[in-house]
Amino acid sequence: MASVTGKRKADLKVVILGAANVGKTTYIHRYIEGKFQQKISTIGASFSLKQWGPYNIALWDTAGEERFTGLSSFYCRSAGAAILAYDLIDEDSFHSLRARFLPLLQAAEPNCLVVVIGMKQDLLTVDNRAVEQKEALMLAKEVNKRTLDKIPYYEASSVSGHNVENVFEYIFQTCLPQEAKNLDGLHVSDLTLEEKAQTGKSCSC
Amino acid sequence: MSVRAFDLVPAIERAQLISDKAKTEITCIECCGKNLYIGTGDCLIIHYIIEEKIGSNGKIHLVSEKQGYRHLALKKPVSQLKAASALNRILVLCDNMLVLLNMFDLEPILSGTRIKNVVSFCLNENPIKSNPFSIEICVSLKKKCLQIYKVTEDKMTLIRDVSTTDIPITMCIDGTFICTALPTQYYIINYVTGGVQDLFPYDSNHVRPIITRITREEFLLSAPGALGMFASASGTSQRPPLQWSENLVSVIYSHPYCLALNDEFITVHSILDQQQKQSIPFQGGQHLGEFDGKIFVASAQDIYALIPIPVEKQIQALLVDKRVKEALDLAQVATKTGIDKEKFLKMYQRIQLQAGFIEFSEMNFDEAQKLFRSGRLDVREMIAIYPHLLATSSRFVKCLPPLHDIADIVQLCRGEEDRIIEYKRFLISYLEEIHGTRHTLGAHMEIDTALVKLYAELKPDELPILVASDCACDVGDCIPYLEKHNRHHMLALLHSSHGDHDRALGIWTKLIKTEMEDESFPGVAFMVEYLTHINNSEMVWKYADFLLEKDQLLGVKIFIDRSSSPAQSEDELPSDQVVDYLSRYPVAVVKYLEHLVFECKSEVEKYHTHLSVLYLDSVIRLMKDTNTQKEELDKARSELCRMLQTSSHYRIQLILGKVTELELYPECAILYGKLEEHDKALGILVHKLRDFDAAENYCIVNAKDRDLNFRKRLFQVLLSIYLDPNNERRDSFVAPAVALLNNNKADFDMIKVLQVIPDHWSIGLLSRFLTSSVRKATNRYRMTHIQRMLARGENLQLKSEHIELLRDGLKMTDDKLCAVCGERFSEVTFVRYPNGIMTHTSCAPNKYICPVTGKLFSATQGTALPSVDHNHDAR
Repeated sequence: MASVTGKRKADLKVVILGAANVGKTTYIHRYIEGKFQQKISTIGASFSLKQWGPYNIALWDTAGEERFTGLSSFYCRSAGAAILAYDLIDEDSFHSLRARFLPLLQAAEPNCLVVVIGMKQDLLTVDNRAVEQKEALMLAKEVNKRTLDKIPYYEASSVSGHNVENVFEYIFQTCLPQEAKNLDGLHVSDLTLEEKAQTGKSCSC
Repeated sequence: MSVRAFDLVPAIERAQLISDKAKTEITCIECCGKNLYIGTGDCLIIHYIIEEKIGSNGKIHLVSEKQGYRHLALKKPVSQLKAASALNRILVLCDNMLVLLNMFDLEPILSGTRIKNVVSFCLNENPIKSNPFSIEICVSLKKKCLQIYKVTEDKMTLIRDVSTTDIPITMCIDGTFICTALPTQYYIINYVTGGVQDLFPYDSNHVRPIITRITREEFLLSAPGALGMFASASGTSQRPPLQWSENLVSVIYSHPYCLALNDEFITVHSILDQQQKQSIPFQGGQHLGEFDGKIFVASAQDIYALIPIPVEKQIQALLVDKRVKEALDLAQVATKTGIDKEKFLKMYQRIQLQAGFIEFSEMNFDEAQKLFRSGRLDVREMIAIYPHLLATSSRFVKCLPPLHDIADIVQLCRGEEDRIIEYKRFLISYLEEIHGTRHTLGAHMEIDTALVKLYAELKPDELPILVASDCACDVGDCIPYLEKHNRHHMLALLHSSHGDHDRALGIWTKLIKTEMEDESFPGVAFMVEYLTHINNSEMVWKYADFLLEKDQLLGVKIFIDRSSSPAQSEDELPSDQVVDYLSRYPVAVVKYLEHLVFECKSEVEKYHTHLSVLYLDSVIRLMKDTNTQKEELDKARSELCRMLQTSSHYRIQLILGKVTELELYPECAILYGKLEEHDKALGILVHKLRDFDAAENYCIVNAKDRDLNFRKRLFQVLLSIYLDPNNERRDSFVAPAVALLNNNKADFDMIKVLQVIPDHWSIGLLSRFLTSSVRKATNRYRMTHIQRMLARGENLQLKSEHIELLRDGLKMTDDKLCAVCGERFSEVTFVRYPNGIMTHTSCAPNKYICPVTGKLFSATQGTALPSVDHNHDAR
């Protein structure tokens, strides 16, 4: 997936952060490829490009391991949206969000949208939830400076695909200028069609 | 996963160095054109000329020659060298002192300012203001600052000073951006605006900071965890990091590869997919340098060159390993390496085709198809892989060097039938897709030939469409294939579409004779149809016999439908000739004559007579045959009767003679009727056949379209036959006679009837006839009377109108002018139309149309007639 991006600058940079082994890469993979895959751990970072309507979106997948924390901050630079991921059944992974990853977001855009996602929802049983939903919601509420219609908190599963597509859709719709799309709608419309088609293609492969 | 992107070739070996001083140790290298400079640990700078030579085995080896050396007398190792060829200078960093030397004789430039306390320096390869007589360098100083200098032949001028929080260990400059490593953090500094962008932290105790320029405003940095991080001037990354090994000492970039050196290996990564491509073992490596495309690597004692393997060779190697995607990616970036566009396109297409054949051999048909299409495959390359599919007449020769190493499909599939068929299906779909597009240019014949062969084997349903369309295949080459798969019918069609009707018809003949089999052949009717429309009478004569023998009814259609199809000129197959020809086939000839007589309405006596005779013959034959069913005979006779009745062009006497002989009375009656010998005809009907209904019917039929008198006479004849006083059995005819008289359809002249009716008949017997006759007469009388009165009334009306028109006088005076020409009336006669328009007689060309208003006065309306008046004088 990774390829030279130099030719066209991405319109939106989305970065996913979180402790090691919470399922960040798998989550991205689920979105891009549409299937679940157990992946080896990410070294440094990896990168995917996504077409959304007329927009180019760069998805940066960071390494969760502590030794890469310094680098992750670098990868957060000028991110328009960030996903803070934690493991629903691992309390430490949630606490590390505040401790390690929240500070990294200072490098991101000032108005960065932060979405908190509890991963591995499919493994959740009646009594193994490690983090109260309330706490997660609170975190999601306080990290976003901009006013939002709803608190950006989701519980997702890359195995079932639950809350994968729609979370990204929500991010893009919130961060990318919709009105601009409408303003030069006439100008863009045919292009949109074409590029949407491309999007579909990349999904099905 | 490995590619050989570079070859390690020895450049200057230990022996050459040692000859100078035993302890000499290389601390830095620099190359500029053919000049190679070596800085040593004992403060020496040695100058070599080094040249690439291509050996007899095609391999590159390097030849070097020592030019001179200089001892700087600083007793410290030379830590950095940089040549500036435009200035003929070489910059030397030794003992934290930056000095300028002459490039060739290595003499110090005394006027040039020295810069002290220098940690390191670097050249700006992409300065904003480029001046050929100066270069821009960036220098890091121990006093925690970076300085930009302009260097000319004899001077180093300070341009800019940027202070930093710590000593910059190393840096790299591009445009106005300096990427630098302080002991704990990487930064990007814009020396014009002073803007500082921090990148990421690292620990200089664990990671040796290395900065390499990749492209404009993009740098590659060594990062913790043995990562190579890409960073752009804006402080972001646009490529995922490279995974390196530990303890790197040097990194260079040679598009599209990053080479990293540690003390054991040189590793090569591609920036395209961030994967490691090659690993070259190299013990004790200390310096790696890229100098305008030349790459040198040095250990403490030896210098080697890394010779890039040409991109094409690399791609070929990748293709050999079937790493298609990597090969294509590499090919794509090759454009950037300066091949001109056309040459590149050619190369790229060829690579696509090679890649296509690799995918093809892996049965990845979708990918193969895409590659073939974008690589503009000469489809014959592919056809040629399939045994026997390429037309033998094709002048195609395989591309050299070959695009693939596939011998043929059978070998590729190891003879597995299923896979061979799958390959064939792929070829079909590929050919179908390009069929008729511009990709077929020049290969039309080969494509069609291959398709015919493939269809014959796998998709017989498609064959007719292909054959029917403008199929350009090599027929001779296709014959064995079609025969092998029993597609004889298609072969025939193919012959036919190539104008070889004889062979086509020959095949169909064999098919009908079941000497060959092909279930797609529709049968005799098809061949008949074909012959009907063929524009070649020779073929018709040749094959008609065969078909007529097979089926006369179908066979004769050739001639019947032929004459009705407008494309055939009539004289090509003259009817006479056809009739003669068909005389051997009784059924066929009858059909043909029927067609001529009934459908074409031919009036040629010969055909009518012939047909009548044939009908008669068949009746005779049936009569002679004792086993004949009655229905059959009746049918034959009714056909004969119909013929005799409807036609009037046959020779009546000829038929009559035969018919009388055979005592075929109804036929006789018809014939007599034709001869207008109605008494004879009716005589036969009444006396011989005693069929009174037929007799009455005869009168009605024959009186049709004739006047009433003839009708009356005809019925009178019949009546007189019934009432013939000379007939002994006349009593038996009383009933039919009365029936005839009472028949409403019959018409009689009553007086004549009364004259022939025997006196002894009772009034009762005749009452009905008489009443109806009287009624008819009365009716006629009254009708006539009414008509007369109506005519008279009309006559009176017209007279009255005429008088009305003439009653009013018309005064013609001098001042009255002709309505057409405007002249006065000078003659006595003039024309006046009913609407009052008056003109000269010469000005009124049509007396029914008013010349002024154009109004039409109907000729039937007496009132509308214009009057030409002589009675009024012009005075």
